[in-house]
Amino acid sequence: MVATQTPILEMRGAKKAFGGVQALTGADLTLYPGEIHALLGENGAGKSTLLKALAGVHKIDAGSITLNGKTFEQGSTRRAGEQGIAVIYQEPSLFPDLTLAENVFVGRQLRSGFTVNWKAMEEETNKLFQQLGVKLDGTRTARGLSIADQQIVEIAKALSTKATVIVMDEPTAALSSKEVDRLFQVARNLEAQNCAVVFVSHRLDEVFALCSRITVMRDGATVGTAPTKEMTEQSVIKLMVGREVSELYPKLEAKIGDVVLKVEGLGLAGQFEDISFEVRAGEIVGLAGLVGSGRSEIVRAVFGVDKFDKGTVTLNGKKLKPGNPSAQMVSGVALVPEDRRQQGLFMSSSIDKNSAVTMLKKLSKFFIIRQKNESKLATEWGQKLSLKYATGHDPVDRLSGGNQQKVVIAKWLATNPKLLIVDEPTRGIDVGTKAEVHRLLSTKAQDGVAILIVSSELPEVMGMADRILVMREGRMVGQFDRHAATPEKIISVATGAAPV
Amino acid sequence: MKSLVTRFFRVRELPVFIALVIVVFITGSANPQFFTLSGFQDVTLGVAVVAVLAVAQTLVIVMKHIDLSVGSTIGFSAYLIGDASSKGHGFWYCMGLALALGLAVGAANGFMVAYLKLPSLVVTLGTLYIVRGVFNEVAGGNTITEDMVPGPINFMGLNTFFGIPYLFLVAFVLMLVVGFVMKRIRSARDLYAIGSNLLAAELGGIPVARRVFLAFLATGAVSGLAGAVLLARFNTAAANSGNGLELSVVAACVVGGVAIAGGIGTVYGAVIGAILLQAITMALGALGIPQFWQLAVNGTLLIAAISLDRYLSTRVKPTSIMGAK
Amino acid sequence: MKKKYTFGWDQGVTAFLAITVVVGSFVSEYFANFDNLSFVIQDIAEIAIIALAMTYLIIAGEIDLSVASILSLTSATIGFLFRNGTSFEMAIVGGLLVGLLCGLLNGYLVTVVGLPSLAVTIGTLALFRGLCYALLGNEPVNELPENWIVLGYENIPGTFLPWSTIPLAILAAIAWIVLHYTRIGRWTFAIGINPEAAKFSGIPVARMKLGLFAMTGLMSGVAGVVYTLRFASASPDGAVGFELSVIAAVLFGGVAIAGGIGTLWGVLAAVLSLGAIRSVLQLIDFSANALLVVSGALLLISVVVPRAIEIYQSRRKSAFVTKI
Repeated sequence: MVATQTPILEMRGAKKAFGGVQALTGADLTLYPGEIHALLGENGAGKSTLLKALAGVHKIDAGSITLNGKTFEQGSTRRAGEQGIAVIYQEPSLFPDLTLAENVFVGRQLRSGFTVNWKAMEEETNKLFQQLGVKLDGTRTARGLSIADQQIVEIAKALSTKATVIVMDEPTAALSSKEVDRLFQVARNLEAQNCAVVFVSHRLDEVFALCSRITVMRDGATVGTAPTKEMTEQSVIKLMVGREVSELYPKLEAKIGDVVLKVEGLGLAGQFEDISFEVRAGEIVGLAGLVGSGRSEIVRAVFGVDKFDKGTVTLNGKKLKPGNPSAQMVSGVALVPEDRRQQGLFMSSSIDKNSAVTMLKKLSKFFIIRQKNESKLATEWGQKLSLKYATGHDPVDRLSGGNQQKVVIAKWLATNPKLLIVDEPTRGIDVGTKAEVHRLLSTKAQDGVAILIVSSELPEVMGMADRILVMREGRMVGQFDRHAATPEKIISVATGAAPV
Repeated sequence: MKSLVTRFFRVRELPVFIALVIVVFITGSANPQFFTLSGFQDVTLGVAVVAVLAVAQTLVIVMKHIDLSVGSTIGFSAYLIGDASSKGHGFWYCMGLALALGLAVGAANGFMVAYLKLPSLVVTLGTLYIVRGVFNEVAGGNTITEDMVPGPINFMGLNTFFGIPYLFLVAFVLMLVVGFVMKRIRSARDLYAIGSNLLAAELGGIPVARRVFLAFLATGAVSGLAGAVLLARFNTAAANSGNGLELSVVAACVVGGVAIAGGIGTVYGAVIGAILLQAITMALGALGIPQFWQLAVNGTLLIAAISLDRYLSTRVKPTSIMGAK
Repeated sequence: MKKKYTFGWDQGVTAFLAITVVVGSFVSEYFANFDNLSFVIQDIAEIAIIALAMTYLIIAGEIDLSVASILSLTSATIGFLFRNGTSFEMAIVGGLLVGLLCGLLNGYLVTVVGLPSLAVTIGTLALFRGLCYALLGNEPVNELPENWIVLGYENIPGTFLPWSTIPLAILAAIAWIVLHYTRIGRWTFAIGINPEAAKFSGIPVARMKLGLFAMTGLMSGVAGVVYTLRFASASPDGAVGFELSVIAAVLFGGVAIAGGIGTLWGVLAAVLSLGAIRSVLQLIDFSANALLVVSGALLLISVVVPRAIEIYQSRRKSAFVTKI
């Protein structure tokens, strides 16, 4: 696993343009058998374009790609798979109605003669699961499988196709830390079997724990490649960003006022139980915990998108009825949801319309809405948030992730909420915009808004929140003041490793 | 041994089969005639047409599509067979004509759905009316009478094989063949993949367009050939033949466990569903409920079947606290 | 982008309407006069009224195949009530109520029980039609009060417009304003584009959809009243196949079957085009069957053409767009 070996994959000087935009300006990547190789870069650096080229989704305009000594045949996902490249996406796409065995062998079901041999497929699949050290049953259907398990099935599929290069695109984003550990085991397993694993992630701590080499991209080109031993988090960030990164978490002092949100004994069968906490005006309360601990479910219940069956939610003294988001909105609750593409935005709709969608009642005069009023509102807020775009009529799917998130935030800030809930506000966003969003939240707190932030990034929660509530398996298991909190304490409470 | 039992209870076709048994018993108790050979023949004869079409429709529904044009096609085909036969053409010529019609409609549907990627609801709704319009124009006010029915078809319609009507055997054999193919032939398994997750199927290298096209082609062909079954069953055909059959066919499939959402269901379930609907129709007749209510009952059954399916599927979702985010 | 294509579609349909009228007047001397226009309006009035509501429904991502059966059930209810001694006015109210209830049933099954609207309305299509027969048996009700029947075939005094123009014009105007200029309209589009994001934006999705189905049922009921007066009879087998014409008109008018796109003017132009084509066909003595074929063809054209345009456009430029 060193430079003396011959590389499995060599990409040199890859260039790719879409329309008028150069997505790749000279990307290089060298993979050796038996290594876990990190691919890092901000959003827009070109990582996903590079991966798509390897996956066979498109062809590069210039440069070369060699796989196992031969020229890599580009442009076809099927051919990419046949040549030995497998890509595991962040949200794997299995066939929910087919069994795991059939999922692994889809399109290439094992046969005896002309007919499908179900027994052989199931046996082979269970063998693969064993090989990966995972307890899954090949005869069950894929419906209801957790994302972590779905990834394992995809990896089993990759193994069954004798893939030599396995790419994992942000695999840990939706995983609990136990599942992350299991995934790391699997990755090391693959490493030992001489596969080349490409690990794409924003989480530097994971990268440094798992990977043996790192390649950093910026503005469509590779700006650095080195063994992990020779790099530090700071040096990697510097390469990614190209400049010194100033204060990421600007926390401003805000005056804490009266209680705005009071949650008492909140419960939803199967999701969370006995949740009680308060958020005051000007306060930022963070909800920490592992993925799956119920945090998003709680804030969705407070906002009303989900119902709750026990307990009460009170906003400025008024009880909120469960399951009525439009009423909640009127009372002054805002939720910037976890998944901005699916839940936060109307992707094919214009920036203007997206920004104004929450303010339609206020924009109506005698029930009539004029489009220019929508545009005015959108422009006003776009400026406040330094949103970069060509014209308000453009559909939001033309914006980068960071700018898209700004639109979601804009549409909610426009409602002048008393309680602002943000769920994973900076997921998948470049470092620069991240800092802007944090500054924005701090400023809003100064204005007297009560803020509730759900985040899986510990540094973010610790940097922003006045108080941190820790959840585990649907229950609140700890509460820390800003000054008393340490990462170790929070994690141990979140994982249940030690009593509080 | 235990796992065999649990696997038995998980079989998707079980509820509809049980429902069938229950209905049969209820009908039988109200009208003991039901349990005789002639009662059996009544049911199997009555269900033959819908069963054949339901087997074909299954191919399409598991892919998350639908083919509403089958009623018009089968009616038109029945008429063409009788018409050609009355003009002196031989049996094979007539069947060839029927097949050609079915293939033409199937190909048109298939092309628009598979290659132009148009929604099958709209496309087959359109072909339903175009075919019916052409059919009505061609048939005018004419009716095919018994003497115009080709010999072999007439024979099939009237006779039985060890007590089982030939028409039902046609449906039964078709069910066995298609059922085997859907379970054991690789390219047929793709249909389930397409219905379960279209995007993954496309990315996974499955030739989606080809499969979809061939499935619609097959459905069309079966609908065309089944014109013979329709003709044999009623010994007549006219401009209104086959009208509304698509409703019964879809209902039979859904009731039989072929989910409208795609990816699940077998032809065995579809046929059981068809038999169940037929049994209920006869039960209503036995209980003295006038014909008029038939349509309303069919509609209600379809709604009930979908509701039940939906209820059962929502119970499967994981509700644990450590569940999905 | 998508917005451009919608405008292009609108202009396309208007052009199509204009061409049909021009061609029609060449083909038959009886086409381009006021009498015929009056006739055309009469002919498509019911379809137009239902299409107004269907537009909203399809934009919101749903569909209702049972509208023709609701129309007929309304008519059957009117006949049934009147035959059994109720005053005609009350019978009409009863009929409209039935239409509303049918719509509510559809809406309930879709929003509360959570069933797919396609499958459900195939079922209710049969259920409601079956109830027509249950109400009237096989005998239509033909003796309806004269003062009401007149509205069915006479024109508004002093004009060439039939009485049915009044409900049509009022409803169309309201529908147009609401869809394009009010919150309800914006919500309808939002729900069609992304129902989940709509929920997360505080839009009461379930309530809206229930309302849209109820409105569709009510409009089908209104169409049922117009239909009954036009034919001066209430029968259980009326308006069979109307749903095809409604859906064909809505889709031909530029409303995308997937939802989220459409304009009301497009739909109105499409309905008028349909009426014009029917008129031309009748004047040159084409049989009624030609109509079925034409409606089916229009339906197919209305989905094939946008797809063909899409395929052509995507061949010309790349699919990826600039990320800012």
